[in-house]
Amino acid sequence: MIDRLLDSARGRVDNADALWRREEQTAVAFESGRLKAAGISEEAGINLRVLANGRMGVAGTTAAKPDPKELVERARASAGLGEIVQLAFPGATAAPLPSIPTFFDHTANASLAELIRMGRLLVERLSRPGCQINVSVQREVADTAVGNTAGARGEYRATGIAVTADLTRIAGDDVLMVYDQYVGADMPTDADLEALVRSVETRLAAALTVVTPPEGALPVVFTPAGLAAVILPLEQALSGKTVLQGSSPLAGKVGETLFDERLSIEDDPLTPGRPASRPVDDECVPSRCTALVERGKVGRFVYDLETAARAKTESTGNGRRGVFGKPHIGYTNIRFRMTDGGRDGGAQQAAPLPSHELGGGLIADIADGLIVDDLIGVGQGNVISGAFSHPVGLAYRVQRGEITGRVKDAAVAGNAYDVLKRIGGVGRDGRWLGARWSPSLLLEGVSVARR
Amino acid sequence: MKDRLAESLKQSRADYTEIRVERTWSSAVSFRGRRLETATVSEDQGGFVRVLNKGCGWGIASFTSLDELPGMVRRANELSRAVRLDEPIRLADVAAQTADAILDLDGDVRGIALSEKKQLLDRYNGAMLAVSNAIVDTQANYRDEVSEVWYVNSEGASLYQLRPEVVLSGTAIGRRDGNIEKGLESIGLRKGWHSVQNYEDRFRVVAQRAVDLLDAPRVRGAAYPVILDNELAGVFIHEAFGHLSEADFVYENPQAREMMTLGRRFGKPVLNVGDNGAATGLRGTLPYDDEGTPTQDTPLITAGILVGRLHSRETAAKLGERPTGNARAISFRHPPIVRMTNTYIAPGQQGVGFNDLISDIKLGVYACGAFGGQTMLENFSFTAGWGHMIRDGKVAELVKDVVLAGNLFQTLDRIDHIAGDFTWNQMGGGCGKGGQFPLPVTEGAPHVRIEEALIGGDV
Repeated sequence: MIDRLLDSARGRVDNADALWRREEQTAVAFESGRLKAAGISEEAGINLRVLANGRMGVAGTTAAKPDPKELVERARASAGLGEIVQLAFPGATAAPLPSIPTFFDHTANASLAELIRMGRLLVERLSRPGCQINVSVQREVADTAVGNTAGARGEYRATGIAVTADLTRIAGDDVLMVYDQYVGADMPTDADLEALVRSVETRLAAALTVVTPPEGALPVVFTPAGLAAVILPLEQALSGKTVLQGSSPLAGKVGETLFDERLSIEDDPLTPGRPASRPVDDECVPSRCTALVERGKVGRFVYDLETAARAKTESTGNGRRGVFGKPHIGYTNIRFRMTDGGRDGGAQQAAPLPSHELGGGLIADIADGLIVDDLIGVGQGNVISGAFSHPVGLAYRVQRGEITGRVKDAAVAGNAYDVLKRIGGVGRDGRWLGARWSPSLLLEGVSVARR
Repeated sequence: MKDRLAESLKQSRADYTEIRVERTWSSAVSFRGRRLETATVSEDQGGFVRVLNKGCGWGIASFTSLDELPGMVRRANELSRAVRLDEPIRLADVAAQTADAILDLDGDVRGIALSEKKQLLDRYNGAMLAVSNAIVDTQANYRDEVSEVWYVNSEGASLYQLRPEVVLSGTAIGRRDGNIEKGLESIGLRKGWHSVQNYEDRFRVVAQRAVDLLDAPRVRGAAYPVILDNELAGVFIHEAFGHLSEADFVYENPQAREMMTLGRRFGKPVLNVGDNGAATGLRGTLPYDDEGTPTQDTPLITAGILVGRLHSRETAAKLGERPTGNARAISFRHPPIVRMTNTYIAPGQQGVGFNDLISDIKLGVYACGAFGGQTMLENFSFTAGWGHMIRDGKVAELVKDVVLAGNLFQTLDRIDHIAGDFTWNQMGGGCGKGGQFPLPVTEGAPHVRIEEALIGGDV
């Protein structure tokens, strides 16, 4: 399909590149402990970008048998209105694409019965009186092909599986929700499912007692899930797009030490077994690892082809595209590499803790503070400035080094750039959460308000 | 198309079968700063099959290749039969509807050249950029679509709906040194080309606000009396209460049902709340939902008392109530689930204005506009676009980072004054639930006063 489309584009436009993707999903859903639905979805689509008279245009379709000519014409019409851009598509490379396992037979071949069995196991383990348990298991097999008129080609098959368990406990007007997930390219092992069960159990047990929240500028342990609010401003600021637009607070600061020197963060599309890993990006650029933050210093920004061309730099292989619209910048796997802790760290000082251990071993010295596992409304505020302010979704009070219970009606606020200047401690509970690997971090002077 | 769907229905061996097919034509233009990002036309189409058998669960298939329809009906049936259930799924009765519901296209967007759409957005984007040198970045988006939806089920329903939609949005980023603020405008209408003209002023206003916020202090975190403007009050009722009124939250959960018992007091007698999918001309309006049920105005809270909830056919049957036409799917890629349409706080007494709400507040916050909102059942958060302190009964200085954190039950009960100045707020974006985002919805409200609410921020 890609070849036919690019052939059709040749001669009618200066250059073109295209992505074709076909996805098949199988999902089972348990609602309130009962298997309620099984579903499949099949979707295929193609996205074409052209350069015509130096201007860029795009077109996409999900039609089963798209007419290549019509699609090229539509992209040309789009280019007629488009901006001029000096975009060079990568050519065919002599070196093979990085070899990275993205396809696991086990996952692709798992039967419906196997998916149901996993879900049922979680339901059985997590059912308890007064609690509602929902479980979903979703498996995906995707074929991707990318190519361009400069001769580059890339093709790969990928598998992904997501197993999620969420537990809701309502007692009077108190609603408690505890959630966790396994996401991988390969099927979860029994140990993975066990870890999921233990994670939900631990966080539920610690939440049964409700205590008064503290107030003031306090030490707060952000779990890998709770860290989302702190990391999001960095993700936005490290995007070449916001740098180019002049709205990134990190623009012009490459090489400056703005964060705690133990903190390194990278974008790594080459991690085996992760669904976001890939040998090539959606614009034919071979995948590679990018150091975003290196020992507290601002490292590289991430780019797709167009943004890189405008910023007069190179794509970092972070081009991402869907069927509709033009390619844009997207992260792959974001990995924290802490130099004094965490399973992925350099000099390991202590053995890793299981990820269900709340607080990652960071709470012993906290006289009064919080563990934040979930915040409400992440991404809604003025994210790029670094400021965050959110009510807690799931948080625990720590007093004299012990978890004393769950807090409600409290909000935490701060600025990511301030709180990451000095990290009070790095947890030994590093784990994957979706496409991000991080440990818990103890951050100090986080503002906690309560009613 | 209808014949093709009817033929596939006949082939189905399941006890209940429904088929939905969609074809959507859309165009989109976007600017980032002074630069055009894209101007493009897209076509998306696909189908959805859902079947049910006695003693079995739902079997679902979605697909982009319509040639696969007969095969997908078979596969959905196999999937249903693989799901064994002790307690059967029942669907509440709905008279089978047959209709062609063609909404007014209001200037068919398919007939307008892409270059004209680019010019229009260029003007709005330019209006933001012209406000000040401190506006360092903008995002401006225009998107329109005309969607055709066919729906048939094995009980005899056969519907064709033609739905237009047009969305405009603008974000202005103001920056001075390390200080960055934004202003946001968003307009979403179930209409066409005629309805998106002459919005320059609204884009100018949000850019000016981004600049003004650069000098504004952060609001001090504390509990205050808070007045919500119409837009934020609408977002509030959607987020804080609307989601709890969706019956799929309670129908399988005895504790949740107890919490949401009809007849329970949720607020003071001034509070009236509802959801109206049949309202004329709004973005959340649709004649029939995605199970073929006609939409309606559903009272949820009347004089402070919980009186109703939003249903699909399945949740209505389970709770012994009537379907309300709230089963919606964002596209053929998803099953219908219980969703809101146009959710509102009804106006208070006519003649009651903003001044009546503010006059006796010594120190409070006037929270305006909405960057967004999220709910975790009893707990919710919403982020105002900006705010003003209220001092001695008057609107005082501009403040930023106004985030309301709250508990639903306490907050609803603390609404003590509602103005008569109701407006529908037709915003773009949409509602997200169960992986389905963005669903077009509308919110409507007058100015609303909360005796005391928690505002997050530095303490």
